[in-house]
Amino acid sequence: MEAFGAEFAQAVGASGHTVEHGTLKVRVSNQQWVAAATVGRDDFDLVYLSYVSAIDWANDVAVGDAPEEPVEERFELLAAIGDVTEGRLVHLSTDLPKDGASIATLTDVYPGANWHEREAAEMFNIAFEGHPNLTKIYLPDGFEGFPLQKSFGLLAREVKPWPGDVDVEGLPGDHE
Amino acid sequence: MTDQDFMHHLGDVSVSIELETEDMTLNIGPQHPSTHGVLRLVAKVDGEIITDVEPVLGYMHRGYEKISEVRTYPQVTALVNRIDWVSGYANEIPFIVAAEKLMGVEAPERAQYIRVILTEMARLASHLAFMGSFPLELGATTPLMYAFRDRERILDLIESVTGGRFHPNFNRIGGVKSNAGAGKTQKKASQDLPAGFFTETLAAMDVVDASCDEMETLVGGNEIFLIRSKGVGVLPADIAVSYGVSGPILRASGVEFDLRKTEDYLPYDQFDFDIPTGENGDSYDRWYVRLQEIRQSARIIRQAIEGIPSGPLRAKVPLIIKVPKGEAYVRAENPKGEMGYYLVSEGGQGPYRLKIRSSSFSNLSILPWILEGVLLPDLLAVMGSLDFVLGDVDR
Amino acid sequence: MIAELMANFWVVLGLKLGIIGLLVPVSGLFIGYAELKISAHMQARVGPYFAGGRYGWAQLIADGIKFFQKEDLIPDEADRPVFKWAPALVLLSSVSLFLVIPFSDTLVVRDLDIGIFFVLAISSVGTIGVMMAGWASANKYSLIGALRAAGQLIAYELPMVLSVIGVVILAETMSLNGIVEAQANFHLIGEVGTPFVLLQPLAFGIFMISAIAEMSRAPFDMPLAESEIVTGYLTEYSGFRFLFFFLGEFANMFTFSAIAATLFLGGYDPMFFNAPSITGPVWLLMKIALVVFVLIWVRWTWPRFREDQLQRLAWKWLVPLALLNIVITATAKVVF
Repeated sequence: MEAFGAEFAQAVGASGHTVEHGTLKVRVSNQQWVAAATVGRDDFDLVYLSYVSAIDWANDVAVGDAPEEPVEERFELLAAIGDVTEGRLVHLSTDLPKDGASIATLTDVYPGANWHEREAAEMFNIAFEGHPNLTKIYLPDGFEGFPLQKSFGLLAREVKPWPGDVDVEGLPGDHE
Repeated sequence: MTDQDFMHHLGDVSVSIELETEDMTLNIGPQHPSTHGVLRLVAKVDGEIITDVEPVLGYMHRGYEKISEVRTYPQVTALVNRIDWVSGYANEIPFIVAAEKLMGVEAPERAQYIRVILTEMARLASHLAFMGSFPLELGATTPLMYAFRDRERILDLIESVTGGRFHPNFNRIGGVKSNAGAGKTQKKASQDLPAGFFTETLAAMDVVDASCDEMETLVGGNEIFLIRSKGVGVLPADIAVSYGVSGPILRASGVEFDLRKTEDYLPYDQFDFDIPTGENGDSYDRWYVRLQEIRQSARIIRQAIEGIPSGPLRAKVPLIIKVPKGEAYVRAENPKGEMGYYLVSEGGQGPYRLKIRSSSFSNLSILPWILEGVLLPDLLAVMGSLDFVLGDVDR
Repeated sequence: MIAELMANFWVVLGLKLGIIGLLVPVSGLFIGYAELKISAHMQARVGPYFAGGRYGWAQLIADGIKFFQKEDLIPDEADRPVFKWAPALVLLSSVSLFLVIPFSDTLVVRDLDIGIFFVLAISSVGTIGVMMAGWASANKYSLIGALRAAGQLIAYELPMVLSVIGVVILAETMSLNGIVEAQANFHLIGEVGTPFVLLQPLAFGIFMISAIAEMSRAPFDMPLAESEIVTGYLTEYSGFRFLFFFLGEFANMFTFSAIAATLFLGGYDPMFFNAPSITGPVWLLMKIALVVFVLIWVRWTWPRFREDQLQRLAWKWLVPLALLNIVITATAKVVF
């Protein structure tokens, strides 16, 4: 996998690649995004699109635990493309700024990216240029806010704050 | 104008009347007997031919990815069962394996074999549910009863081991749940599988095989079933792949690709099984591929029971689990297709970000493509053959 | 005194109509119960079990009472008079068929000379009722169901009529009593009668298929395709209006089976031996039971046809075969 990763990264002109726990991640720039996917599809037989999604890296989080060490605040966009013969999978990764995140759409390369990008757009507020139908897919039409951003709080957690380090509750008689 | 002129001109007039019919917009769902859950399809229908179909999703969106950011790993395990509820156990596996990879823990062999057995049973449960519901959509009500009767046996077996029929919640990081029934008041003996489980399972596999043969002749030999499903909803392989379709649908379109053979999340390389594929990619092939997969799953279960080693059920992990920093994507061959979890851990008790790649979401995205120009009754034949579950689509 | 009463035309008519009025719901109950139980056992189930004790015989009675006490819901946009009269029309066409069924050579409400012609004509009236129901419901699904039903019912009228002509040629009469007598007197082998199914197997097959289509039963239940358009033209009907349709369907089963038994299986005549005419109804009911069993069996075995496949079957296969049958029958009749 390491060899394939190196080959692929070189072919698309990636800035770096990692193979961690069996997952190959190739970092590309915003401008190389569509070109990298095209190279993957045409030259490396990676015709299968698994998914397109994003990670919100933030240091202040409204829900859950904050990262241990400070991270660079950004959206990390991921696209997993693979082949259907040997099961190789490449995660293309690119960084987007949190405000005004916008990148070219992958629907011309993979039609299946259509729905995945709609979901990423409504959950993270990422604009995909050239997308044929960037409407909400899961959320109702009038929904305000972008749920998967780390700054989006959950009402239940505001009412009842996170209990902290509790993993296993005792049996009913234990609290005496 | 004189009468003569008028009559003369009348001959020149050519009258062409075309019946002006408008396309009717038909709203199928969300409450509808045969969409597999709350799915809404806005279909533009011209007579009986569908010109355009737009699925409206989100009626069952439960926000799994957000919720898993505020839950610990065991809690997420319990939640994740409910994504594809027809095959409960199979949903947990990729998540647990991802967490185990990040922790550097490997489940003992016995636990892995038990995981294989239960995953294949989940596959049987899902495919048998399909065997029952697909003919039902075409109008045959009897196979439903036969398929669910056999499915009950499988669910009873799963329940005898895990305690739950649909939502087993049996995996733990490091293995499978071992202290079944033990608590503070009982001796902390590690309880293994229930007595008689193996013999009952082997008997159930014989029943399942017999049921497969019966289905093949009763349903597969039924002339009306054949003309309703052959050639209906053909999906070429290259379209399927570019849309991200996976699982039995992809295999029915002729692509021989099974994640059980290419991934190492469970020890499938120890077992001998075939990958059934179809030729045409129509609804009949999708049905037939799943029928064959039932047989192959029974084969795997038999081999697993035969070769299961003894040993501990769970590796040593601390009581409060904190997964070290890292990212991993693990994907598994779920009954419906590829299910994967991209787990980002920042060293906390719960995931920092969990991306759930569910199979039915991608499988459903071909619906606008595949349904163009199809007759209205075939809409249900095609949708039924795709075998999706709304929990999987909407997460 | 009784003889006098019996000679009075109106008394006899009143009595006959009263019996028919009773027979319609009772036959509906019996056939409905048979359907529930037989289908259950075919599907590895038990069927009605609790209503009325171990065998659940009171299930349909309970269902009937339940339907009666339901709210009479009429959609806002519905065309009220049409909506109300649609089930009446469907029931009318089913019940009218009872008027000509001969239960024995004397037990018949009216032995019309044009017996079978009357049957075929009246059974088409039900189609109008179906279309009225679909239109008046002001519901797209119902409309689709009604259009499908109209297309189907019209398409299968023709094979049914043509298949019956063969029988009429052999019997030389259209009266149903006459047809039964013709079967009894047609001595093919020895001194016993010949049910026309032996002489007209093709016509029997075509008649049965067309009858199933006329009754909108599976595999021809596209108009009511439950899993697609939620019972089609019946969607908006609830309460006792739905009961009328329901009853109409079972009454239809009874009458079509009776017609099939009369035309092809020998009706009230035991065929292979002699029996007093008073036992006529027994033989007819046995034959009806056989045909009803086959109808139920067929329903639960096959999925439903698609609309265009259904039409193709009628126009490309059944009509030519029925015509062929007529030609063969007529030739044989002239030659032999």
